[in-house]
Amino acid sequence: MRGIDYVVKRTVFALVTIFVAATINFVIFRAAPGTAVANIARVPGATHQLREELTRDFGLDKPKLEQYFIYLGQLARGNLGVSFASQTPVTTELGRALVNTIPMVLLGTLFAIGFGTLTGVIAAYRRGTWIDTGSVSLGLFFYSLPTQWLGLMLLLIFAGTLPSGGRVDPFLFDPSPVEHLLDVARHMILPSLTLGLVLYGEYTLVSRSAMLETLGEDYILTARAKGLRDRRIVWAHALRNALLPITTLMALSLGYVVAGSILVEEVFSWPGIGRAIVDAVRARDYPMLQGTFLVFTLAVVLANYVADLLYFRLDPRIKE
Amino acid sequence: MRRWIRLGAVAVSVALVAAACTKETDGTNGTEGGMVEGGIYRLGSPSTIDSLNPFVAFEQDAYNMFMQIYPFLVYYDENLEFTGDFADGWELAPDNTSITFATRSGGAWSDGDPLTADDVAYTLNLIVRFPGPTGLMAGYAKHITGAEATDENTVVVSYEQPINEGWALSQLLQIPILPEHVWSQHEGDDGKDLKRFTNADPTVSGGAFVLDNYEKRDIAQFSANPGFYGPEPHIDGYGLKFYTNTDAMISALQNGEIDAVETLPATAYDAVKANPDLVVLEGEGLNEDDFIINSNKPLHEELLDPAVRDAFAHAINYQEMVDTVLDGHGSPATTFVPPGSGEWHNANLEPIAYDIDEANRILDDAGYEMGPDGVRIANGHPMEYEVLTPNDVVGADREFQIIQGGFEQIGVKLSQKSLDPDALFVAIAGPTWVDYDGFDLAIWDWYMLQDPDFALSVLTCEQFGFWNDTGYCNEEYDALYEEQGVTVDQAARQEIVYRMQEIVYEDKPYIMLQYRDMLEAHSAEWEGFVFTPLGSYNNLTKLTLLNVHQVG
Repeated sequence: MRGIDYVVKRTVFALVTIFVAATINFVIFRAAPGTAVANIARVPGATHQLREELTRDFGLDKPKLEQYFIYLGQLARGNLGVSFASQTPVTTELGRALVNTIPMVLLGTLFAIGFGTLTGVIAAYRRGTWIDTGSVSLGLFFYSLPTQWLGLMLLLIFAGTLPSGGRVDPFLFDPSPVEHLLDVARHMILPSLTLGLVLYGEYTLVSRSAMLETLGEDYILTARAKGLRDRRIVWAHALRNALLPITTLMALSLGYVVAGSILVEEVFSWPGIGRAIVDAVRARDYPMLQGTFLVFTLAVVLANYVADLLYFRLDPRIKE
Repeated sequence: MRRWIRLGAVAVSVALVAAACTKETDGTNGTEGGMVEGGIYRLGSPSTIDSLNPFVAFEQDAYNMFMQIYPFLVYYDENLEFTGDFADGWELAPDNTSITFATRSGGAWSDGDPLTADDVAYTLNLIVRFPGPTGLMAGYAKHITGAEATDENTVVVSYEQPINEGWALSQLLQIPILPEHVWSQHEGDDGKDLKRFTNADPTVSGGAFVLDNYEKRDIAQFSANPGFYGPEPHIDGYGLKFYTNTDAMISALQNGEIDAVETLPATAYDAVKANPDLVVLEGEGLNEDDFIINSNKPLHEELLDPAVRDAFAHAINYQEMVDTVLDGHGSPATTFVPPGSGEWHNANLEPIAYDIDEANRILDDAGYEMGPDGVRIANGHPMEYEVLTPNDVVGADREFQIIQGGFEQIGVKLSQKSLDPDALFVAIAGPTWVDYDGFDLAIWDWYMLQDPDFALSVLTCEQFGFWNDTGYCNEEYDALYEEQGVTVDQAARQEIVYRMQEIVYEDKPYIMLQYRDMLEAHSAEWEGFVFTPLGSYNNLTKLTLLNVHQVG
């Protein structure tokens, strides 16, 4: 029963968070200076009639409270509205952007988790050696780098070797599926690497610290006394307990990487959600802004929710 | 990027500046090598195509694309003259209230349907019938009462009043001819569905190229249209790659990933110029920067005093601005109708001299005494003002610093508030967009048009809440604006346009800062570029993409 209580509590908390975030999303963009109609209505020969028509079309002529309830009602039906700027459904726009962003972010994150955890564990195991010092220094170095700067440096370093931007080669007409896949992979290397390198340092530092703590525990000493091999002690016994803070970090960073992809996508002209949000902010495209920020919220909440559930599995103390 | 948004919004109409007007061409337009037919022309763009629907699209590249994939009645030739695109010729009625166009035969839409004068009449009438839903295009159909296809190859466009032919053609140059058989299926009730039609790729096209593939914010691919009514292009197709990072775009050009860039940042000029495999084109553009003085109800009333405005104008170091912000690729500005507008630019107006002593003298004479802390006193308060600046105009911060430095020497203290374009306009025009009572000073830029109508309109009272970003409202000026719009004789119209520039030069709602040169670059392996104040790839003409080719 305690387990079910825990899951229910976490679920309610996640839902309330999403509701609050959705409300803030509605308020905050309308509170910002500028309006959705101002820019679009500024066309040669524009008339007040056009402006009024746009205001009516966008539903901005209604009282704010009414707009809010309409928004919530539509949200409950899974309808995020129609983009003011492109006049296409926000779900279509978001879907298109996410399909581009997720593989790139996922690749970078997996690299960071895998490489960062590995170097962190090795550094902890070899604490005090040059391997430890080198690993920590390198991790700190990348952790402290501004994402956009690192991206620009990689662009310069790999200029002429790897594509300088975009997701595909626009000059590759009618590619075969394999050609297309290879093309996308080539374009994905630099943005994913940028994201991965910035994140990896954090994973190194956290996993090293967690592993150092765990390796000092009595049960590790017991394992050694039992004559278990070092490799088994580190990877099977110590790492499992050290996974708790790493799991927390993974949950936190997943939220970050979706939002953090804005900088990477700007540097590498990657047509994902980061660029979509920049365009939406510029155009005061409220439905797109609400939609993209809802995605950010969902990413963070969902990642934390999954982390909470994983904690339940990883840490028996929670059950008690 | 904002500059391009603003540019896209006006879907700029400019006359071509032929290669002769460019400062440097490096033989690009020559024919040193042999012409190689075929191939894909690869172009990098700092803009993007935001929509394939002409009634929705806003960004410059969307308008550039429409010029390539749709027929237009006219476009500009190399000599700044209108020439027929889908129109084979035209004739203005004796009473100047209608134009009869003869259209070309043999054209076909990319889905095989014939392209005729009926499509022209349909498109224009569609806009006239539904000015709201077609709002982005409706402005260009101003004064049109309707269009009638009298036969398959003739269409008559009627106006509610006598019109100036050049003005009328410059407006029609902005309206793409749409396939009736496609768009008539998407009108909905009162045209409400027009904006919701995605016009998705492969788009039914009737211009020189067909849009085959479009990935938003990423790429667009075009192939030559076999049904095109005009000359066959020398390339098989072209591709556009959209960059958000101009450094990456220039890097791609340097490394041969792309063949050309739509625009070249002044900061990259030297590096690209030094590359023997690349060619840089430079010429007068239509982009200009201005210093705005609230001319309606500024927070500080003394800003309405002509003496203060004169003093301000003398306290700005225009040449330093050109040298530092533009790295020398531009010139100090005089009037808001830029030199790229050709004959409409009033070259009789002299640049205002940077003269701190003169500025101080003017303020002394006007009674603005210097306070103990080096800041003058006006109406009992220190002359301290906030300057609103756009956060997306390259160099705006540096421009502010230069102005601030000059003003400090005349006892005027400035502070800066940087805003994004949307917030900046609302800060200027006020929450209801017509107040113009919540700011003093601002810096902004313009992309003007070759025909001066648009430039002149932005200072009219009618544009309060739209393009007017100064709060300037002058009855005499407005009357002249109306007069120039219906003056049929070109020389008489020019005289009025010059007079209007003189009025603004004297009243100073704008102190014009600098004109930015148009810069672009391409691989030396390509020739045939037709350079304009908007670059070679633009929404003014199909000529560049009809002529561009590789050299053997």
